[in-house]
This record gives sequence, C-alpha cells and structure tokens, in this order.
Amino acid sequence: MRLSALLDKMAAILRRDILTGIRYRTGFLLTAAAIVGELAAFYYLARAIGPGFRPQGLDYFAFLLVGTGFYTFLLMGINSFLQIVQEAQQTGTLEILMTTSTPGPVLVFLSAISAFARNSVQLLVYLGAGLLVFGAPLPHPNIGGCVVIFALSVAIAVAIGMFAATLQLAVQKGSAVVWLLGSGAWFMTGTLFPVTTLPRPLRLVAQLIPITHSLDGMRLALLGGADFSTLSRQIAILAGFALILLPLSVLLFSYALRRARLDGALSFY
Amino acid sequence: MDSIVLESVSKVFRHRPALFNWMGRERSGETRALQELSLTVQHGKVLVLLGPNGSGKTTTLKLVSTMLLPDAGRVLVEGTDTSQQPEQVRKHVGFAVAGERSFFPRLSARENLDFFAALEEVPRKSRARRIDAMLEHTGLQDAADTLVMKFSSGMYQRLGIARALIKQPSVILLDEPTRSLDPASAAHFWNLVRGLPGQGATVILATHSFNEAVTVGDFVAVLHRNRLAGYRKIAATSVEELRAFYFQTTGEIDESAQLLARGCP
Repeated sequence: MRLSALLDKMAAILRRDILTGIRYRTGFLLTAAAIVGELAAFYYLARAIGPGFRPQGLDYFAFLLVGTGFYTFLLMGINSFLQIVQEAQQTGTLEILMTTSTPGPVLVFLSAISAFARNSVQLLVYLGAGLLVFGAPLPHPNIGGCVVIFALSVAIAVAIGMFAATLQLAVQKGSAVVWLLGSGAWFMTGTLFPVTTLPRPLRLVAQLIPITHSLDGMRLALLGGADFSTLSRQIAILAGFALILLPLSVLLFSYALRRARLDGALSFY
Repeated sequence: MDSIVLESVSKVFRHRPALFNWMGRERSGETRALQELSLTVQHGKVLVLLGPNGSGKTTTLKLVSTMLLPDAGRVLVEGTDTSQQPEQVRKHVGFAVAGERSFFPRLSARENLDFFAALEEVPRKSRARRIDAMLEHTGLQDAADTLVMKFSSGMYQRLGIARALIKQPSVILLDEPTRSLDPASAAHFWNLVRGLPGQGATVILATHSFNEAVTVGDFVAVLHRNRLAGYRKIAATSVEELRAFYFQTTGEIDESAQLLARGCP
C-alpha cells in the first residue's frame, strides 16, 4: 500500500473519530470531571499516608500520578482494539469494512492509532492537571527516555490489543483480556504501590507482565530523570516483548479473520 | 469474457455449542448454505438471483465479495481467486447488503461516504465530486448533511447503494436493494442499475421481486435448497413467464395465482 494512501486512510479515521467524539458532547465534561475527581482522591491519599512513604525514592503522589495515568492510558489503548471490533460487529460495519480495499489488520491498526492519539491527549491532561493543579514535583525529566519508553509501551499495548481483537473475532470474548489486565494483573504491575512489596512468587509473575516494566521505566525517566544507561534494562525488556508480541499478534489476527470468513462469523457478537 | 465465475462452490456453516451448555438446548451441527454451485456472469451483464428465503442468494453474494470464503470449489472475480487473493478481489467489488444499517450513526451521509471512499482509495481530487454524484443518483442530496442516525430504512438502503458504487467497481453486488424503497425510488434505482453495464460494470442482484428481475436483469438464476435449480435469459420475458419459470423450477406452490384464480384482488 502506498504511503499517501495509508496517510489518507489515517486522516479519514481520525476525522471520523473526532467528529463522533465531538457529537457526544457530554462525554468531554464527564471525562474532565472524572480526571479531577481521581487526582483529588490520590492527592489526599498521599497526604494521609504522609511524606515519609517514598516508593522508589519518589514522592508518593507523583508515583501514583504516573502509575495510574500511564496504566490507564495503556489499558484504554488495549481496550480500544476490542471496542473497535465489538462496535463494528454490533453495528454491522465489520463485514462491510472487511470487504473494502483496506486489509483488515491495517484497518484495525489505524483505528487503534486514532484511539491512542485520543488517549494521549487525555494522558497529557491528566499529567498536566497533576503537575499544575495538584503540584506534583517534576525535577529533571529525561524526555528522550520518556519517548522511548512510551513508544515501546504503545507497541506492546498494540500487540495485546490485537490479541484481544483476535479473541473477540474467534470466540466473541476479547473482553477477557481487558478484564485480566484491568483486575487480575492490575495490582501486580506497580500502579499503586511498588512491586517490591509483593510476595516473591507474585513479584516473579509481575516481571512477566510488560506493563510492569513500562511503569517502572516511565517513572524512572519522568520523575527520576534517569539517563539511558539506567533505563537500558527496561528498554531492553520492553523491546524484547514488542519484537515477539507484535508480529505474533498480527499473524493471529489475520488467521482469526480468515477463520471468521470461513465460518461466516464476522458479524457474530 | 466472464467477469464472475463460481466453480462447484459449496459453503457449510458449522455450529459449535457454547463451552458450558448444560442448561441450554444448543446442539452442534451444520447448515449447508450452498452445494456445488456453478455459475458464470459475463462482463457487463446483470444476473438476477431468485430463490426462497435461505436458498443461498446472500451466501452467493458474500462469497463473491470475499465476506465469506468457500469450503469447496472456487470463486473467480475478474480472473482472481477470492481465496488466494482476496485483497485484489475487493478492489473490484462493491456490495450493498440487505437491511442496510452498517454506517457510523453520528456522521452525516456525506461524511460516511467520504470515510468509505478513503478506505476504498478513491482519489482525493475526485472524491467530493463523486460523493455529490452518488448522493444525487440515490436521491439523498437534500439529506447529505443529516446524521445517518436520523435516517429512515429507505434512506439507509439508498446510502448503502451509494457506498457500493462510490469506488466505481467493475463488479456490483446488490442484495434486495429495493426492499425498503417506495415505488418511485425503486423505479429510479432500476434505471440506475440498467445504466451500470453501459459503464462497464457487471451486476449480481438478489431479489424476491419478479418485476425487478425482468426490469433490470439479463439473466436469471433460481436457487432452491442451496443448489442451482434453473437458469435462463430474461430478454423479452414477461413477469408472468418468469413467475411460472420460478415456480416450475422450485416446485413451490404459487398461492398468489390460486388467490387470483379465486377472484381475490
């Protein structure tokens, strides 16, 4: 596919999502209110615990801000793949979309990029409000390091999202992946407290979840100002996960799509 | 030259009950949707598919569109096998599905067409002009900027037809395209379809309307019990002749003829 055609499709998908988002007028206000409410809760939680609690040597409110903000961003990104397939199944657009000149995996991928772009705005608002309104300290961030950790984490989230979309196509239960990350794996990734406080077996499981390393790396780069040599462990682990998971997820999704065409299950939900 | 070829095509839908189905009555099994269907449609011709509900008309269209893949046999569109190179086939095919509602509800008709035109790689330069032309062809120009969630069934159907035609495909698949249209809109649509072969397009149209079949079709294929039951040229065929051919090939009882014979209007 030519790059210009790909960009044109990306622009069309962004335009569709922006127009749809704008036309759900109250959605923006509710999201903004939810952000302020959540940050206020974390702010007062950190104050109640007191300044003596400094996980990984960081201010606890800042620790929570980055942990919950980045975790939510990645989870919403993963969930967007599922939503794209689910909504398309329910509205009947999936069958039609899969008969356009745009290959299925490309279409889902572009739609998810649009969702990530929207979530990035939300993440920036979340972090901005935490820093500016609630005064989270941000001494010397390593912006380059943040960008690398962010890009690798997004690549992994794309792969996990493709797995969720594959499950949705194959057995109409992609929500299991999101549920697993949203509940089971959530407390093991160091979102609210450091992984080191977990018992040893759970700590080992936590190391197998890529998001643990995403949060760790992002905190080190953004709040700790860690240089690239300090971040090298997190970067290497995340790159390894991305290299394995991305091609595997695309292959599985393509297989599930072909299977659905054979079974006539494209519109099942 | 043949634009569409179906060679001994069979399609089976397999049902697998849910994993935990102790309480339910769902059973595994299979439905034979098509059996050994062989058909060809010449370039620039309109083939009408007739047949009772569940006879395999929509399945045939979905197989040509690559929405479904055959279990046996092969489907060729403009010489390309739908199982081997589906992406290539999709560049040629436009499909208006029955009971059309598959649009983004909070986008207008124009915005929806613009979105699908981008996915179909319609050149940017000609996109706006083509969208306007399609909206006019389908009588939606006055509703072009209305959100489609406010559309009636007929308007959805017309928009589905506009979407199928937007990329100027060489193969057009229409599944009961006039089901929700009023008589005047249906007649307008028939004119539109009659003009498509002149623009180099091949059409397969599935319908239950004998009137529609004789108005737009060049050939008719009757499907019955998932097999090809009859095939003939339509030229100079009247609605009554086609009706007789249909009931003769399917072996079904024409109750409307019995009612007419008894003097019911």
